[in-house]
Amino acid sequence: MASATISSSNHSGLASPSPSLRRQAKEISGLNLSGQPRRNPKLTTTTRRRETPSTRAAKLTTRAFFWNKPKPSPEAPKPAKVQELCVYEINERDRGSPAFLRLSEKPVNSLGDLVPFTNKLYSGDLQRRLGVTSGLCVVIQHLPDKGGDRYEAIYSFYFGDYGHISVQGPYLTYQDTFLAVTGGSGIFQGVSGTVKLQQIVFPFKLFYTFYLKGIPNLPAELLGKPVPPSPGVEPSPAAKACEPHATAPNFTN
Amino acid sequence: MACSSSALRTISSSSVKLARSSRSASGSPPKTLLPFNLSTPFLPKLAAASPSSSSQSLCSALPRRSFSCKSQAAPAGGDSAPGKVQELCIYEINERDRGSPAILKLSQKPVNSLGDLVPFSNKLYTGDLQKRVGITAGICILIQNKPEKKGDRYEAIFSFYFGDYGHIAVQGPYLTYEDTYLAVTGGSGIFEGATGQVKLQQLIFPFKLFYTFYLKGVKDLPAELLGKPVPPNPSVEPSPAARACEPNATIANFTD
Repeated sequence: MASATISSSNHSGLASPSPSLRRQAKEISGLNLSGQPRRNPKLTTTTRRRETPSTRAAKLTTRAFFWNKPKPSPEAPKPAKVQELCVYEINERDRGSPAFLRLSEKPVNSLGDLVPFTNKLYSGDLQRRLGVTSGLCVVIQHLPDKGGDRYEAIYSFYFGDYGHISVQGPYLTYQDTFLAVTGGSGIFQGVSGTVKLQQIVFPFKLFYTFYLKGIPNLPAELLGKPVPPSPGVEPSPAAKACEPHATAPNFTN
Repeated sequence: MACSSSALRTISSSSVKLARSSRSASGSPPKTLLPFNLSTPFLPKLAAASPSSSSQSLCSALPRRSFSCKSQAAPAGGDSAPGKVQELCIYEINERDRGSPAILKLSQKPVNSLGDLVPFSNKLYTGDLQKRVGITAGICILIQNKPEKKGDRYEAIFSFYFGDYGHIAVQGPYLTYEDTYLAVTGGSGIFEGATGQVKLQQLIFPFKLFYTFYLKGVKDLPAELLGKPVPPNPSVEPSPAARACEPNATIANFTD
């Protein structure tokens, strides 16, 4: 009923309130988020002349517009803390990856070479197959004195039904780097932050530590104690075989 | 990004950020200069064979207040995201010593077409052109050739590298015939969590570009990145010390 009265105020010429305003209006009105009366509607216990639901909602919607302005952050529901997520990316050489496109037509890695790739993704504790990585590395320059190359990497990490995280940033074959987390979907919707890339065995095994902000708490099955990175790490046989208890739901493949 | 065609002089362009092409800068009437805070300024898009060939000095014409383009930069509709908007000005200069750009005519058509890709990497200097900060690195994906604009539309996905400070990742439109705004998609180091947009202005196509970042969600930027920007014009050059990467004219571990 409350939602009906709030929406009726839209016909009075007020701009349609955004979802966050609707939520605030409901909270102020003593209703919970489903529109049911709250147990302890503090705001409605003051002595006040009786209001009808329609006038109260109309006032609240109007007030909510003005109350919203001073609020410092519209993202209050999401935690501001940084969540760490560790994953392993492993090239098992069964996905045709990488596809090294030597488009520069030069004998050494040069600007112009492109490297699309896709590898398998496992949880940090190497107990679960989560999905895949997929994207593109753009060769930027070859650095003979470092014995490696600089790439610009643009790719995503897929976590099955959980969603995905997109990243962009430097990939140096000779040292660890930080990439920017540019966005995500599913449980990662609205994510921001960075991810540290550590190469364990170039180019087959990589270890990532995500520093994620702006998303709800991650599920426990992604947060198992990570296996410390070392060249000999391997996924558990069950994860490698994608046995049902050793994968994320509908893991990406 | 509407632009009035009368003020915009287009040049025929068959490639973006090409190091070797030489285009004659035919004489043209002076452009109508619009202040930055009204719309994108129309700067002559001369592809100079030599950097000093500009006949138009725009320094004096651009007001100092032009660097606060709040009307375009300020989020519309009363966005109350935390933190203020910080402006950061940067010059990207192609000094033709990085093998950039690498034009991949994968469409195999004589005219720029969907399928062509252009990886690139150029040098970055502070807005006051006193310090070398790093490089840009990324890729331009050709989307369509616009014969009526004598230019092309690209989708650009690239990063700005600031040495030890970190990097900023951007994505958005690159039109060879007019200025554009790209999205700031993220960053690392001091730019971790960055959002906002960046205005791209071409000074000399495709060798010199001027960027104005409107960044939110980052801590106060260090002073050495915030020197008073040199007003963009085709003849700007980095200071000799910055170009030579002398230690006092670079930021810490500038990206190279």
